[in-house]
Formats: sequence, C-alpha cells, structure tokens
Amino acid sequence: MTLTGGEVGARGAREKAAPAVVAKGLTKSYGRGDTTVHALRGVDVSFATGAFTAIMGPSGSGKSTLMHCLAGLDTVSGGQVHIGDVELTGLGDKRLTLLRRERIGFIFQAFNLLPTLTAEQNIRLPLDIAGRQADQDLFDRVVETVGLRDRLGHRPTELSGGQQQRVAVARALISKPQVIFADEPTGNLDSRSGAEVLSFLRTSVRELGQTIVMVTHDPVAASYADRVVFLRDGLLVSEIHRPTPQSVLDTLMKLEA
Amino acid sequence: MVKATLAGLLAHRLRLLLTSLAIALGVGFIAGTFVLTDTIDAGFSRRFAAAADKVDVAVLPAPGTDRQVPPHIPAAALEKVRAARGVADAQGLVRGTSALIGKDGKAAGDYPTSGLSVVEGPLNRTEITSGAAPKTDAQAVLDENTAKTRGFKVGDRITVLDSREARHEFTLVGLFDVGLDQELGYTGAVGYTTAMAQRMTGQRVFTEIDVVAAEGVSQEQARTAVAAALGPGYQVVTGEKFADDLAKRNGADTGILKTGLLLFGLVAMFVAALVIYNTFTILVAQRTREMALLRCIGATRGQVFGSVLLESTVVGLLSSALGLLLGYGLSLGALTALTSLGAPLPTGVAPTLTPRTIGLAVALGVIVTVGAALLPARTATRVAPIAALRSQIEERTFRTGVVRMVLAALFLLAGAGVTAAGVAMDPGETALFVVMAGGTVFFLGVLVFGPVLVRPLGALVGWLPAKLAGVPGRLAMDNSGRNPRRSATTTVALTVGVTLMTLIAVITGTVRTTFTERLDEQFPVDYLIQPQDRDATLPRALGQGLRNSPELASVVAFREKITKVGDRGAEFRVGTFTPAPGFRPELDKGSIALLTPGTAVIGRHVATDLGLKVGDRITVRTARAGTVNLRVAATFNPESGVLPPVTVPEGDFDRYFGAVGDSRMMINARDGVGADVGRRIVEAAAQPYPTAKVASAAEVRGQFEESLDMMVMIITGLLGLAVLISLLGIANTLSLSVHERTRESALLRALGLTRPQLRRMLSVEALILGLIGALVGVALGVGFGWAATRTMVDDVAFQVPVTQILAFVALSGLAGIVAAVLPARRAARASIVGSLATG
Repeated sequence: MTLTGGEVGARGAREKAAPAVVAKGLTKSYGRGDTTVHALRGVDVSFATGAFTAIMGPSGSGKSTLMHCLAGLDTVSGGQVHIGDVELTGLGDKRLTLLRRERIGFIFQAFNLLPTLTAEQNIRLPLDIAGRQADQDLFDRVVETVGLRDRLGHRPTELSGGQQQRVAVARALISKPQVIFADEPTGNLDSRSGAEVLSFLRTSVRELGQTIVMVTHDPVAASYADRVVFLRDGLLVSEIHRPTPQSVLDTLMKLEA
Repeated sequence: MVKATLAGLLAHRLRLLLTSLAIALGVGFIAGTFVLTDTIDAGFSRRFAAAADKVDVAVLPAPGTDRQVPPHIPAAALEKVRAARGVADAQGLVRGTSALIGKDGKAAGDYPTSGLSVVEGPLNRTEITSGAAPKTDAQAVLDENTAKTRGFKVGDRITVLDSREARHEFTLVGLFDVGLDQELGYTGAVGYTTAMAQRMTGQRVFTEIDVVAAEGVSQEQARTAVAAALGPGYQVVTGEKFADDLAKRNGADTGILKTGLLLFGLVAMFVAALVIYNTFTILVAQRTREMALLRCIGATRGQVFGSVLLESTVVGLLSSALGLLLGYGLSLGALTALTSLGAPLPTGVAPTLTPRTIGLAVALGVIVTVGAALLPARTATRVAPIAALRSQIEERTFRTGVVRMVLAALFLLAGAGVTAAGVAMDPGETALFVVMAGGTVFFLGVLVFGPVLVRPLGALVGWLPAKLAGVPGRLAMDNSGRNPRRSATTTVALTVGVTLMTLIAVITGTVRTTFTERLDEQFPVDYLIQPQDRDATLPRALGQGLRNSPELASVVAFREKITKVGDRGAEFRVGTFTPAPGFRPELDKGSIALLTPGTAVIGRHVATDLGLKVGDRITVRTARAGTVNLRVAATFNPESGVLPPVTVPEGDFDRYFGAVGDSRMMINARDGVGADVGRRIVEAAAQPYPTAKVASAAEVRGQFEESLDMMVMIITGLLGLAVLISLLGIANTLSLSVHERTRESALLRALGLTRPQLRRMLSVEALILGLIGALVGVALGVGFGWAATRTMVDDVAFQVPVTQILAFVALSGLAGIVAAVLPARRAARASIVGSLATG
C-alpha cells in the first residue's frame, strides 16, 4: 500500500526532482485511555515537487489532520515529516514558525485575510513578516494572474468571497514557498468563483512550477489536481492520477461502501 | 433563560473575575473609607466614654467673645463648685505653655510644649504609663513621645521655662500618654501638680472643672446644683453629655477625612463604571450569535435584555462582596500604617463593619454595575434572530455621526467657555469652582469626541513603536484604531486618572515655583530667628549682638503690637523694622524712603478694610502716646509677607509702644561667608536665648517642599487606584479582543508570525492605548492646571513639571504593556489548528 515518490516521479519529466513533502509512518492520536481517538494510524505519503495533489476522504477520515501535521501546524504522535530536506518532527515552535514562514504557503477555507489590511498588504504580509522584499516582477505577475490589479487598495470587507480567496492565493504564491497547503479553498464559494480559484491554482503549478497540496471533499475540485490520494479512518487507502470528477466520485463511492 | 445566563457566567469564570475586580476595587476603597472612619470614631467614643466615666459633671467656659483672651474659668469658680450640694470633689484643670528645654539647651520642638495640671484622686484623667504622677512641686511628668524624641527618661532632671521664660528644674517622675488630644500630641506636654502648673503657665484660671458627685447623687442632680452655684456664663454638662460632645467634635474631624477619601472613591467608581460599560458592550457584540440563537428559539427582547441585566447583577453582587473584603483589609492596613506613623488614633479597636457599610457597598456595586450595563443590554435587544445564521460576525464599522460631532462640539465649547470665564474672574474659590465645572463639561466633550480622536492619536503615538516593532507594530497600530468606540472608552478610563494626576502635578509645581520665586524675591535672607512661641518676643540684645559680628551683612529685626487702627475698632498688627543695608521692601509705588516720621505704610488689605488711599490719615491707638494720627505714605502687597500690615518708622514705634522685643529677625551673611560658618555664628549668638529658633531659608523652603511633596505623594497614590482600575480595563478589553481575533491570530501564526512577535503585537497595541489615554490626560491636566492656577493668586509663575509628566506618560505606556501580558500569553499559547477551527 506504500506509495513512494519514485512511482510518481517515473510518470513525467517535470516530476524528476526530489519530493517536496514526505511523510513516513505518520500517526496522530488525541486523548488518553479509553477515549483515545486515532486520527492518523500510520500514513506514508510523498508529494512531488511541482505537482498539484488533492487529499480526499469522507468526514473524519483524518484528511485535515494530515494536512495540519504535514504543514507543521500540529504536532505528530509518531512518524516523520520532511519538507524538502528539513525534518519537521521534533522542531520547536520557533523553528517551525520560521519554517512555515520560509517554505510553506497557506490557503484556508475562510478567514484568510486580516480585516485591517488592504488586499495588497494582505498579499505582502508573509514577506513583511519574514522581513523580505517582494520580487516586484513576481508580484505583478501574480496579481495579473489572479486578476486583482484594480482591487489592491480594497479591504477584505469590500471584496467578494471569490476575490478574497484570490487574494489568499496570491498571498500564498508571492513568497514562492516550497509547498502550498490549501484547506478546502473553494468550500465557501459558488461554483463559478470556485472554478476560477482552482484554475489559478492549476496555472500556478503549470506555469510557476508551484507545489500544491489541497484538502477537499469536492470531487470536481479534486479533478483539477494531477493526483488524488484517498484517506479512510486515518489510513491512506487509494490514489488515482489524472483524475476526472467521475473517477474521483467512483473511488469515493467504493470507499464509502 | 436564567439558567442559560448563569451557565454562561460560570463558563467564563476568569472573565467574570476580571470584570468584577474593577468594581471591587472601587467598592473596596469606599467601603474601606467607611470602615476606617467608623473604626476611628468608635475608638474615640470608647476612649471618651472611659474618660468621662470618672467625671459626673464638667464645667466649661462659655464660648468667649474676645478673640485676644481664650475662654477660661476664673479660679474663684472652683470654690463655688466645691461648695455646691452633692459635690464630692472638684478639680480645676490648668493648661498653657511651658517650654521644655532640650538637651542642646534650646527650647524643644517648633512650638513650646504645653504645660498642664495632673490632678490627684479619682478625677485624674492623665494616663500615667510609667513612673508616677507628680506629688510635689519639684516633680513633673512628660508625655511619652516627647520623652522618646528628646531622650529623657524617668529619674532625669528636666528644665522648663515658665511663662516669663525663667528656668525651673524638675525631677521627671513619670511618663504619660496624651491620648487623643491632637494639640498635646503635636506640641508635647509637661504635667505638674495643679499649683505648679499655674505657676509655670502663668494661668491662674482653669480651662475646665471636673466634678465627682457624692454617693447617691445623680449626674443630672449634680449638674443642676453646680449650675445654680455658678450662675450664668458657664457651660455645665453631665459627664455623659461631655463625652458625647467630645466624640462629636472628633467625628467632625473624621468627617473631613471621610469626605476627602470618598471623593477619590467616586473617581475610582466612575472609572470602574467605564470599564464595566466597555466590557459589557464587547460581550454583547461577541455574543451576537448566541443572543440571536436565543431569539430564534423564542426568547423575547425583554428576556434578552433581562439576561444581560441579570449577568450584570451577579457581577455587581460578586464585586460588592469582594469589595467589602478588600475594604476591610484596606482599612486594616491604613490603620496600621497611620498608627505606625504616629497619628494620635485609638489603638486596639477591631475594625468596625456596620450594616450601613455593607448595605452601601452592595448597593453601590450593584447600582453602578447594572447602570453601566443598561446601554449594552439595550443593544443586545436589537440583535435580529437572523444574525444566528450569518457565518461571520461583521466588524462594526464606525462612522463619525453628525449628532456626535454636534454634541461633542457643544460640550467642548461650553466647557472651554466656562473655563475661560473662570480664568477671567478675580482669583478666589468661586473662580476655581467655575474652572472645575468647566473642566468637567469639557471632559464630557472629550468622552463624546473620543472615538474620533483615537485613530489620529493612535497613528501619532504608534508611529515610533510601529517603526521599531516592524510588522507586529504596524498590525498593532491598525488594531488599536479598529474599533474606535471601544478603544476610546478603554483609554478614557485611563485618561481620568492621568488628567487628575497631571492637574495636581501642575498645580503643586506652580505653587512651588511661585513660592520659591517669592521667597527669593522678597525674602532674600539666609537665616531667620523667631521665638518658639510666635506671640512672644526676643530680647533686643540678641539683635544687637548679631549686628556686631563682622561676618553678617545685615540684621533686620521686626517689632509688632496688635492694636486698634482706624475709627471702626478694627485691630491690626502695627510694627516696625530696624533698617539695614540692602533691605528694601517692595512698595506699590515709591521706595521705603517714603516712610518718614509721622507716616505709615500699610498693606493693601488694610487700605481696603479701612477705605484708605495714599495721602489719607490713619489713626492708631498706642500704649504711650495716646491715639496718633498718621499719614499713609504708601501701600504694599501683603503677600510679600515681610512688613507688618501697618508699618511705622523705628523711632516712632518706640515712642508709641516702648521697648518692645523683637518678634523676628532676618539675617544675611556677608558674601563669601560659608553657610556653615554663618549658621554657627548665628546659633552661637542665639544660644543664651533658649526660645530663639534659628532657621535658614533653605530649611524654610525644604519644610515647605517636604509638605508639598507629601501632599503630592498622597494624592497621586490615591489617584493611582483609578489608574489601576483603568489598567484592568485595558487588560479586559485586550483579552476580549484577543478572544475575538482568535482566528486572526492563528492565521498570522500559520503565516509565520512567531509567538514572541504575536505577543509583541498585543503589547504594542496596549502601549498605544496607554499612550493615547496618557496623552489626552496630560493635555487636559496641563490645560486645566493652568486654568486652575490662574484662579489661585495673581501673577503665578506657571510651571509644568515636565519630568513628572513624562514619567506619568511613560508609566501609562508601561502599565499598558503590563496589562497586555496575560492576554498576550493566552493568545500566543493558543493552538493554531484549534483556533482556525473556531467560529
């Protein structure tokens, strides 16, 4: 059942590089004694550099927990996580924070933006926090890509839900992170805005060589990815490449059964 | 509904406690004031009652009409009382002054010690604490405190001056406790047998006659008999009434203390009310969804309103209980502190917690809390049920309304106008009250205008911190101005305390500068010699001796007599000075050379009182030359404090009143004579005159500054309570904001903000809030301090104590940071994943 990066890497020239994220024997449990909940029961997975991977699974399958552990937002109970050449497990809060700052981008389902900052300030926020200068070319390119040029001076409350998520995408892209984790990025959007956001994500993978890992429960959203991995009861149970909404749905149905 | 409210309260115990603490501090202070003053009153009453137990009837002089002669009872009255029916024994009490000579050969203390009689037998009310009462005329007792400070013990020989300044020696046979007598506590006292007390003090009369009734005679019967025997002109009271009167008189003293402390208590309560108001407003805003849900499932507006009020009532009750405990402890501490500072307070009395104090504290706590929660409760009723379904609570946007601007402008203009009117008035109490009223109205204007001020002020004070703290600093600045109304209320609470502190600092600073400037200008002396008893005089020989010493440049002696001046029978001090080189008192017009024989220069107040102007004639009744008619040569400002109100030439004065002694001497050393050399010479010259007290200008200034510093410290300390409460407010607002922004903080943490950076962000926000409050407070305090000092005296030297004010600002900022410690820790500790999932 082990899915190694090697298998994936063999599939295309773009995926030759070392995997961006690797997890080995990842376990995570909450509580103690009788009430212990095992959210992850030993997950081995790797995510190729420059690929768009979706994580799917029924509610309670552990997909969000997996993402939080991979991104260094949560501590693991056992196993290892590597982002590039850095092992996350065992890092202190300070090192983890700096790692997130330098190598990871985030897009959340909701509440992605600080209400007090303008769109542009929100986009530049990760760089500001890190004390880095934005690459102006990259900034322009990202802003063009997500189509926010005339919205840069607005505050989040003056933007539509779709626009807010596009700002979040731009923010995730601007620091050129090793990997972007997206947690249900289209969960709160209507289908048209959702499709837009997903296209931007795919474009950024194709054109900027970005690595993206996305948690979703929406088969259509998952179909934008290069590869979909499926989780059930804290275990990786299946995966498909070059998914279509139908193939994703079929796999899900099989898992539910 | 009630269950839901109480469950909610229990779920947020920490918040409940923090909120309660603000009110509890205010209530505690007020309750403490009552406990303290009640305890003191109770102690006094008990002591007076104990003293009065010994006395069945007390005879007191009728209130005197002549200011010059204090009320007294003639010696003959004692025999009449003793002869009255039903009187077993009667003793007259003698009290006057008899200056104790210290071990340095000079009269001890700033004022002469009191001399009093220690009576024998059952009527002795003097509490001998060691040794025995004086039995013979060669024995005396001394009060414990004086004995301690002057280094005397039982068995020593002591020297005391009688009223004519003749020395007498006594054997110290005992020490006594002055008890609650404030005057004796201040001057110290020597006790003698009655006959000796009369000789020493020169008082042949009594201040009081105490009577013991014979067996079987009631107090009232004895009183009637004594009153009948004495005839009119006396107050004859029973022992019981006597004790009551004494207690009442002391009650009036504690009444002043109570009023003063309550004033500070009210300021604290006002600040606490602001804090509570803000807390409930934020709570209601945060629980919009919860309230909407309640409305959805059928709660009426009234029930929602009631639930907020119920919550505030519980908070109020809890605060009051906490406040009572706190007040009890505070008063206990205050009593201990006061007693250890040597205040003449009754000791060994348990703090008195009366039902009145309990009722008042509970009522105050509940009323203020519920009152402050009324507006937020009304806001809660406006929550629409549909709000429960909205996914995200909208940020309240603040727009500057026309009503607010008009209202603020109205208050500000009215306040400024009234203040200006007060400043324009003649200096005096009325003007000060007008300025105070103007200040209060202006402050209300600031309260209304506050939310508009927050953003620009935040940008101003936040500029540097934002620069220094980087991204956290910038975010903090944005956050501080994000909810202007909330920030304004939070900071205004701090502004109250800082305004009052600055005001006091400015006023005392100005008074200090004005005083020292005057001192330098009109009192340019190195040393001052005065008799210990201000009404006494010093022999002229002392001045003559000083004039002969080559190290001294000038010795000016002043001589005075109180006598009738003018036609209306008014009495003034008429006096003169011995001319000396360099002594040129300032007159309104012209120089002191105008003072020629047959003329007088008079203070402006004398001129006003008698309706005189320069060139008019003034009559002065003299001792030796009959009534003389003098020409007014000039007037002067009496505040200069140097010349007697009616000053005549030296030669004339001797002719009018004879060889009166010097009542004070101003001495200047020659240039180049060291301070210690000058002092040694002056002291050596004064040594043979035990009552001649030498003070240097620096000492006079030092004493004044010391008492001023003491006052500033006490007032600042008392205002510190209001500041402490406002800091609780900042902590509370901040922790509620942190709670509100849980997801935001989590997002920032996910994006790479480290824990220290997150903490720094909140610290800077608190710093900005603190600085805004302090800045507004300083501006108001300086402005109204200026206005207030204008109303005090003419030509004040306005002074802003910059370092002190900077310290207030720095402390406010620092305090803000301290207030942020706990909320910031909580925010930084929160798990990112958990926080992202909330809401």
